[in-house]
Amino acid sequence: MILLGGIALQLITPRVLRDFIDLALAGGSYTALTQKALQFFALVFVTQVTATVATYLSERVAWTATNLLRGDLAAHCLRLDMTFHQKYSPGTLIERIEGDVDALSNFFSQFIVRLLANGVLIIGVLVMLYREDWRAGLGLTVFAAIAIAAMLRLRQVGTPRWAAVRQKSAEAYGFLGEVLHGTEDIQSSGAKGYILRRFDDLLRAWLPLRRNALMVFSLIWTSTMLLFTLGTGFSFGLGYYLWSMGAITAGTVYLIFNYTELIRHPIEQIRVQMEDLQRAGASINRVQELFALQSKVQDGEGCALPSGALAVDFQGVTFRYGDEAAALSGISCQLGAGKVLGLLGRTGSGKSTLARLLLRLYDPSEGQILLSGVPTNACKLAEVTGRVGLVPQEVQIFGTTVRNNLTLFDPTISDEQTLEVIDAFELSGWFRSLALGLDTDLGPGGGLSAGQAQLLNFARVALRDPGLVILDEATSRLDLATEALIDRATARLLRGRTGIIIAHRLHTVQKADLIMILEGGELLEFGLRQELVSDPASHFSGLLRTGLEAALE
Amino acid sequence: MKTPRLLWKMITYRPGLYAVNALLWALIHLSPLIPGLIIQRFFNIFSTDSGSSQLVWTLIALLAATAIGRGALFISGIWIDQLHRFTMSALLRRNILAAILDRPGAAALNHAPGDVLSRMRDDAQGAEDAISWTLDVIGMGTFAIVSIGILLSISVPVTLFVFVPLVAVIAASQIASTRIYRLRKSSREASGQAVSAVSEMFDAVQAIKVAGAEEHVINHYRGLGNLRRSAMLKDRLLNQLLDAVNASAVHLGTGAILLISASPLQATRLPLGDFALFVYYLGFVTDFTQFFGRFLANYRQTTVAFERMSELVPGQPADVIVAHRTMNLTQSPTEPVEDVEPMPAPGSLRTLEARGLSYTYPSSGRGIQQVNLSLTSGSFTVITGGVAAGKTTLLRVLLGQLPKDSGEIYWNGEQVEHAGRFFVPRRSASIAQVPWLMSGSLRENILLGVEPAPAVLADAVYQAVLEQDLDLMPDGLETMIGPKGIRLSGGQLQRTAAARMFVRQSDLLVMDDLSSALDVETEEQLWRRLAELQGKTCLVVSHRRAAYLQADQIIVLKDGQVAAEGNLAELLRSSPEMQRLWEQQTEE
Repeated sequence: MILLGGIALQLITPRVLRDFIDLALAGGSYTALTQKALQFFALVFVTQVTATVATYLSERVAWTATNLLRGDLAAHCLRLDMTFHQKYSPGTLIERIEGDVDALSNFFSQFIVRLLANGVLIIGVLVMLYREDWRAGLGLTVFAAIAIAAMLRLRQVGTPRWAAVRQKSAEAYGFLGEVLHGTEDIQSSGAKGYILRRFDDLLRAWLPLRRNALMVFSLIWTSTMLLFTLGTGFSFGLGYYLWSMGAITAGTVYLIFNYTELIRHPIEQIRVQMEDLQRAGASINRVQELFALQSKVQDGEGCALPSGALAVDFQGVTFRYGDEAAALSGISCQLGAGKVLGLLGRTGSGKSTLARLLLRLYDPSEGQILLSGVPTNACKLAEVTGRVGLVPQEVQIFGTTVRNNLTLFDPTISDEQTLEVIDAFELSGWFRSLALGLDTDLGPGGGLSAGQAQLLNFARVALRDPGLVILDEATSRLDLATEALIDRATARLLRGRTGIIIAHRLHTVQKADLIMILEGGELLEFGLRQELVSDPASHFSGLLRTGLEAALE
Repeated sequence: MKTPRLLWKMITYRPGLYAVNALLWALIHLSPLIPGLIIQRFFNIFSTDSGSSQLVWTLIALLAATAIGRGALFISGIWIDQLHRFTMSALLRRNILAAILDRPGAAALNHAPGDVLSRMRDDAQGAEDAISWTLDVIGMGTFAIVSIGILLSISVPVTLFVFVPLVAVIAASQIASTRIYRLRKSSREASGQAVSAVSEMFDAVQAIKVAGAEEHVINHYRGLGNLRRSAMLKDRLLNQLLDAVNASAVHLGTGAILLISASPLQATRLPLGDFALFVYYLGFVTDFTQFFGRFLANYRQTTVAFERMSELVPGQPADVIVAHRTMNLTQSPTEPVEDVEPMPAPGSLRTLEARGLSYTYPSSGRGIQQVNLSLTSGSFTVITGGVAAGKTTLLRVLLGQLPKDSGEIYWNGEQVEHAGRFFVPRRSASIAQVPWLMSGSLRENILLGVEPAPAVLADAVYQAVLEQDLDLMPDGLETMIGPKGIRLSGGQLQRTAAARMFVRQSDLLVMDDLSSALDVETEEQLWRRLAELQGKTCLVVSHRRAAYLQADQIIVLKDGQVAAEGNLAELLRSSPEMQRLWEQQTEE
């Protein structure tokens, strides 16, 4: 409505001006002229108000739509499996989610509407011209058709060029994003020059891509300008011819000229829209490309895991990252509900991979994993992550409130539950020191000691009440007092749950019921801890001996 | 106000480029003058009856010729402008990156990385736009002045009315000035938070996935998105209102001019051609007036952009971000990057001494106080202590990764002025507690720019106990490790960082707690191989017995202070803290 009003106003205004000129040339009265001028004022005022409202509304639409798209795209990327995240750095994803969608915002808000409005405006102008003189109308119709066709053709040249620009900028910001995390290592490696040089290389590769894309734009601008000049020339010739024939007044010659100028504006607008569409086209392709990616880990048909402790059953599990050598091969073993397994092995032996499979960050290449008899790949992902918890080595602090950091933004967890867990995991001392309680914002690092940060990890997992807990041993950096604290926290977290402790040290598996030792992705040893301890031929007792020897050396 | 100075420094970075750009765009903006005159001549035919079809054809031909000229100008204008624009934002981004890397490494960022990235992206873009606006003001202003001159020659009183809207436009932007600034600031902040959330989300992607928290995290992001939307809309609405006020002022001016011109049109028969010219030029003059109004608003917004960028390098004058430097944007550099000092020769370390080192973390109030330290060439020193004793802090302060509050550092008896710049390869190299790697191959990550002989690289891989892992990787050193080295295991990450340290062949090797990611066997293997290496001075944070046993000297920290120091035998006799730390290991 607003748009149509705006178009009508734009069409009427030149007529008021025409009347004004004819009136002036004909020596009309001053009052009549004033009246026309006042009409003009009123029209201008109404046009401005409608334009402001229209722009505001369309921007609102744009932001709502792009926010929705950004959220959906982020959600999609977040759900893609880890092989995706091994390829795309956070910086790159920022550029693809924020940057590419930004480029679409105009498209969302104004593209269709503007295209429509400008189309209507062009038709309106042409109709008005036909009313004045059919020859003028016909001439300008041909002119407008040629102009639009030319722009559509040129548009196709631009899109791939803009795609290349977007690709490079994503690469550059991906690089920057990684570098910003590494300032300490860059300094100590004396790599500042290297990093700056690589950034220069990126800039150098970026510049010609942008130039290529912009040169297309300048060609389009130039060709439309040439076309418009032809249009003006045409209106001159035609106007003069008709006038000399005595078919039209001088005012109408001016009107034809004015309409030719007026038709420029919507066509130029369409050019601008096309220019945006080129950039948007590149971004749309990139957004679609992301959406088209399928997670290798798919939801099963859904199968609820039983509540309480979960039994774990590995059945001939083999796993490869891509086409590399198997990270795990033919692992078969069982862990009863409520039992605790100590998982040992050198780095790279497959311990972390085993945990990742249990969490369905990946699915086994061969074999399957059953949780209390339910194959994990039959479950929806959320069903698995809802029942299997991981206490990782590193603590990820989010730049948000303590509450969000504990609940991981889950609004269904009540403050009572949260406070209870803070208490249970002996974080109350720290919590009392916070100025705003649960609402305190944690900055980068969060001002937590290593021990407290670990406890935060325990609390996060406990809040979700899983039936199987995987602990990636994190006690190595802690002192005795803190270690005792963590031991208590471990015991509390494992109470009534099945546990798998990935251990780098023998001390941590003292309380385990079963022991598994991995080497080179294969099961080297698996059995009850007590039995392995008492069997002097077992690898585990061998480890205990060398470990003790090392300590006694 | 510092914004004009910063803009000026940007302009003078490539003065020639700016001048050519300004000239081209002035010509481009001036070029519509000619069609205006042609139009005037054409319409004068009707009021003076002095036309012929030949004249009309000549005018049309002139129009076409002008158009071709304008096209050529425009294409060259874009060519120069894209280079100039890119140069402007590249300078800012490059300067900010260099300035951040120049800060103490462990405290280089004072905002979340995503926020920093958002500022480097969008605020630099804002400044680039501002420079471009100054060009347009010059071009359009020139056109306005010339056309006002021509208009004056037609009718003085009518032309004076052109200035009425200009005054209104300036007044409007002055009145809105504070609000423009405030709304822009809050919309940029909201934007930075949203970008930051994306960055955190994908940094912590594994943690989020294993916690099944995708949904909630996304909702949080959507919430921030909504906040941004409303901040942005307010910001934009103000811009539109100003635009509307400007446009109305301009149109009212036009109306008034028409009204006044009505009488001369009657009395002195202002020819239709002159009238057409009047309206045609008036369009451009009023465009300029509107544009100038926007420029004034944009100027306030640029202040916000500069402020946000200079916040990234606190304690430094804002000029750092517009400092002039060599950038090789169009061709590969033949010389090394200018702002980086060349790697010092191996420093032949004899002694390293630190006296009274103190540092307090502003956030927690913890840190180290009055720590003394003394190393001699070829020695092996272990720093140990409980959690939060200040071990990592001590290493960071010593190496200039954190700005020390007080204390002095002496290398071979000479005072070190700028520790951050001094403690670099080949004087020293180190491994952080949580090592950082980036997308690329293992080789790139180990080398990070150094170009050693193949044997040196092979040695470094061996020293780092990485050779077996490499054997298992089909692509060996060319294996792509993914963002943050995500495709490597924790131990492989740490050993890659170790190889990076060894390949630098530095005198002083600093290692912060390898035990967090390495199993006992691998760590001991690393210590054994290190012991075989002659002439290296090692400074190591550890609480493993293997390290204590190898140490010439152990420094026990407690609550940020040295609790005891000496060799293992002495300390086990005299220091209860050392006894406690030693006992802790017995259990293994």
